[in-house]
Amino acid sequence: EEEDDAALESTSTYDRVVDLINKASLMQKDAQKINNLKQVQELIIHKEPNLLDNFLDEMLAFQSDRTVDVRKFVISFMEEACKKDMELLPKILPCLQLLLEDENVNIQKKVILIMSQVYKCVLQWMCSAKGVNDEKMYVWEMVKSMKIKLLEMADSENDGVRTHVVKFLEGMVMILSHSTSESEFPKNFKPESDINLSIVPEDSDNKYLKLKRLEDEGKNIFETMLHFQASPHISSINLMTVMGSITAIAKQRPAFFGKVVQAFESLQVNLPPTLAKSQVSSVRKNLKMHMLSLLRHRCSADYMTQITTLLTDLGATNSEVMKAMPKIDESKKRKA
Amino acid sequence: MAQISQLCDSNPTMNLKFAIVCSSNQNRSMEAHNFLSKKGYRVKSFGTGTQVKLPGPAHDRPNIYDFNTTYDEMYRDLMDKNPELYTQNGILNMLDRNRRIKPKPERFQSSSERFNIILTCEERVYDQVIEDLESRSKDEMEPVHIINLDIQDNHEEATVGAALICELARLLADADDLDDDVDEIILEFEPKAARPILHTVIFY
Repeated sequence: EEEDDAALESTSTYDRVVDLINKASLMQKDAQKINNLKQVQELIIHKEPNLLDNFLDEMLAFQSDRTVDVRKFVISFMEEACKKDMELLPKILPCLQLLLEDENVNIQKKVILIMSQVYKCVLQWMCSAKGVNDEKMYVWEMVKSMKIKLLEMADSENDGVRTHVVKFLEGMVMILSHSTSESEFPKNFKPESDINLSIVPEDSDNKYLKLKRLEDEGKNIFETMLHFQASPHISSINLMTVMGSITAIAKQRPAFFGKVVQAFESLQVNLPPTLAKSQVSSVRKNLKMHMLSLLRHRCSADYMTQITTLLTDLGATNSEVMKAMPKIDESKKRKA
Repeated sequence: MAQISQLCDSNPTMNLKFAIVCSSNQNRSMEAHNFLSKKGYRVKSFGTGTQVKLPGPAHDRPNIYDFNTTYDEMYRDLMDKNPELYTQNGILNMLDRNRRIKPKPERFQSSSERFNIILTCEERVYDQVIEDLESRSKDEMEPVHIINLDIQDNHEEATVGAALICELARLLADADDLDDDVDEIILEFEPKAARPILHTVIFY
C-alpha cells in the first residue's frame, strides 16, 4: 500500500510539473513565469529528482526565452541540475556554450559566474568510477573550448565581463590545486564544497586526468591572474577584484602565498598610472585590508618583514599591525 | 505600460537594490532612505555601530539604545526625559520621521540581505561594511558595489548628502550596463559631490 501511495504522489508531482511548465510557457509576465519555473526546479531537483531527466528538455527550452531574467533563471537551473545529476552534463554544457555567446552581456556574465561550479561537476564526473567513454570525451573537449573562450574574455572591451572572468579564474585555481592543513577558509565555509585536485587519482590511466598536467594548468591560470593585476591600464574595479581573488587563493591554497605577497609588493610601487586620485585611495585601502588579512594567516611567518613593511608604507598603524599578528601556535611552541 | 515593463526586463539596473548605511541608522542613512524611497527606488537602510547613539544633554552623555529599540520607544523615552531639549535640537522630529519609514533601526552586520549597491556615509562605516562582507561565506558570487561619500552627522549635512546620494543613485540606475560603467560614473560624479569617493566591489 505504501508503494501505491508513493506512486500516486509521484504521478501527482508529475502532473503538477506538466501543468506548471505549460502555464509558464503561456505566461506574459516574467515574474510569474520565473515563479512557475522555480516551483518546477524545487519539485524536480529536490522533491523528486527522478523526474529531473524527464523534464530537462522542457526546462532547457526556456533558454531561448526573449527576456533576460528568464534566461538568467534557466542558467542557475542548469547549475543546480548538473550538481544534482552529473550524467546530465552532456545535455547541459552545449546550452551553456551557446549562452556564453548570448547577445546580452548580463547573460554572458551569469554563465561566466557559474562556470567554475560547473567545472567542479565535470571534474568529479570524469573521476567517477565508470571510466572514459565518448560522452565524457565530448564534455571534456567542450569544457576545454569554453575555458579558452573565457580566457579570451579576460581581454573583453567590457569592464564587467572582465571582472566576472577574474572570479572564474579564481574558482579554477582553487579547483586545480590542493588545499593543505594550513588552508584557511571563510566562516560558514562548507568543506564538502571544496572540490580540488585531491579527487583526482594519482595514477589514473584516464588520459584526461593527469595530475601534473591539471596542476600546471592551475598554475598557469594563477600566472594569468598576476599578469592581469600587473597590466598598466587595468581599471580600478578590476584591480580590486583581482586583488581580492588572489588574497582568497593565498589563504585557501598556501602554495601560492609567497607569490601573492610578492605581487602585492610590486603593485604597491607600481600602481597603474591611469587611476584617478580617489581610485588610488580606494586601491590602497583595499591593499591594506588584504595585507592585514594575509598577516593574520598562519603562513605569514615566512613573509613577516615584507608584509609589515608594506603595511607601514600603506599607512597602517603599529597597533593595527600588532593586532593582526598571528598568535604563536601553542602546539608548535610545545614541540619546540 | 507594456513598453515600460519590457524596459525593466531588458535593463536589470532598473531593479537595483540599494542599501544606505551610516553608524546609527538615524540621521544620514534615514534621510537618504526617505529621499530614495519617495523616488521609487528599492532601498533599505542600516547602521554599523554596536549601539544606536543619539545626542544627549551634553556631548559626553549621549542617549544609547540597542538595535532592538523601536524609533517610537526612543521618541517616547526622550519625550519623557526632556521634550524641550529634544524638540529644539530636532531629535524628536527626526525620530518621528523615522518611525513613519520603518519600525526600528537595523544593524548591517545582522542582515543577510543582498544588494547591488551599498552607499556608506563615512569612511569608518565603509570599512566596517567591507570587513563584514569579506568575512561572510561566499558562494553565489554576485557583485555588490560599495561606495562611500563622507557626510557630516548633522541635519543640514544629512539633507545635502541625501540629495547627492539621490543623484548618484539616479546615475547608477540609468546606466545601461552598471558593471561596465560604474567606474566612470563615479569619476564624473566626484567633482559634483565635492568630496572624495571611495569605491570597491565585493562578490557575495
